[in-house]
Parts: sequence; structure tokens; C-alpha cells
Amino acid sequence: MEQQPELSADVPRAWDRPVVTVPTLTFLSLIGGQFPSFSTQANVYAIGTGGALVWLGLANRVPRRPVPHRLRSGAGWWLVPVLVFGVFEASTFMLGSRDDFPTFSKIADPLLDDPLVRSVAYFGWLSAFWGLVRR
Amino acid sequence: MRYLAIAGFTVALLLFVAVEWAARREGSRIPTFGDVCAYVMRYEVGPVPVGRIALFGFWWWMGWHFFAR
Repeated sequence: MEQQPELSADVPRAWDRPVVTVPTLTFLSLIGGQFPSFSTQANVYAIGTGGALVWLGLANRVPRRPVPHRLRSGAGWWLVPVLVFGVFEASTFMLGSRDDFPTFSKIADPLLDDPLVRSVAYFGWLSAFWGLVRR
Repeated sequence: MRYLAIAGFTVALLLFVAVEWAARREGSRIPTFGDVCAYVMRYEVGPVPVGRIALFGFWWWMGWHFFAR
């Protein structure tokens, strides 16, 4: 019986190395950081880059890292930061995200107005997305 | 109140960093955040990779929300 070809992360492809991916993600982030919020370019770029990564991640075209079959027993610790964040996000959202009690995105918006900060944040978003695709 | 919100979110982010740091220590019983995501992404309903689609969709929306909206 013929085996389904399984992509493996054991032998990294030439393009699947930090020396290639980091400059590529940096380049994409520097472009993304130039588009202001609510612009057509920003919408097209965020949807386009994200869509490309979703396609890569669902099409099994990228080698993946090994997946744990079971989570270690301390996984519950992750609920602590998630719950603290969730309580503040939910309460600020339910109270209308006012200037005196803002949601996380309302706090982040003025910071993201700066193109350099925006590019750094874009790099974080794309890097994490790439990490998910490789999982 | 504004400072309370900023402090709350800062504490939450610091807790993310702290738990990830604890997870990366030798012999830790805490999985890394990447391992938790990978575990969630294993969830499938029949041939549909529901966990993978959900995480990709969430992260895609996050980028759009912060950079385009």
C-alpha cells in the first residue's frame, strides 16, 4: 500500500530557515507598517498576507514541527494569564471601551499610529502566524 | 480607571511571559504556548481540521483588527 507522503521538519528546505524567513517577514512587516488603519491598502494587505498564510497552513505545503500527543500536567497554568486578560477585555468592552476605561485595542491604537511601532507589531503578528503554520 | 485597565493588561501580558519562561525551564511540567497551540490545532471533526481553522481564523482576525480597523 502506498504511503501518503508526510511532510517532515527533519530536513529543512532551503527557504525554510531563519536566514530566509526572518528577512522575508521583516520586509513584509516594513511594508505593512506604512499603511494607516482604515485605509484600503491596510485592509488588502492584512487580508492578503493573512490569507496567504492560512492557505499555506491548510494546504500542507509547509513542513511541520512534531505535535505533542498529550499536554503536560501543568497546562492549566496558561489559564491564569488568559483569564486575567479576558476579565479586563470583557469588562472594558461591556462598559463601552471609554477613554477612561479602554479595551486593549483602544490602548494599542495610538501606539500603532507610529509606522516603526506598527512594523514591529506587524513582524510579531506575521512571525506568530508563521509559527502556527509550521505547527 | 484608565490606569487600572492599563495595569490589568500589563499584568496579563507579564503573566504570559512568566508562564512561557517557566515552561521553557528544564524539566518543567508546563507546556510551552506553542505546544498548547499545536495541541489545539490537532482537533479535527471527521476530515475537517477544526482546531487549525479556528486558530488561523482567530489570528487572521487579530491582524486585521489591529492593522486595518
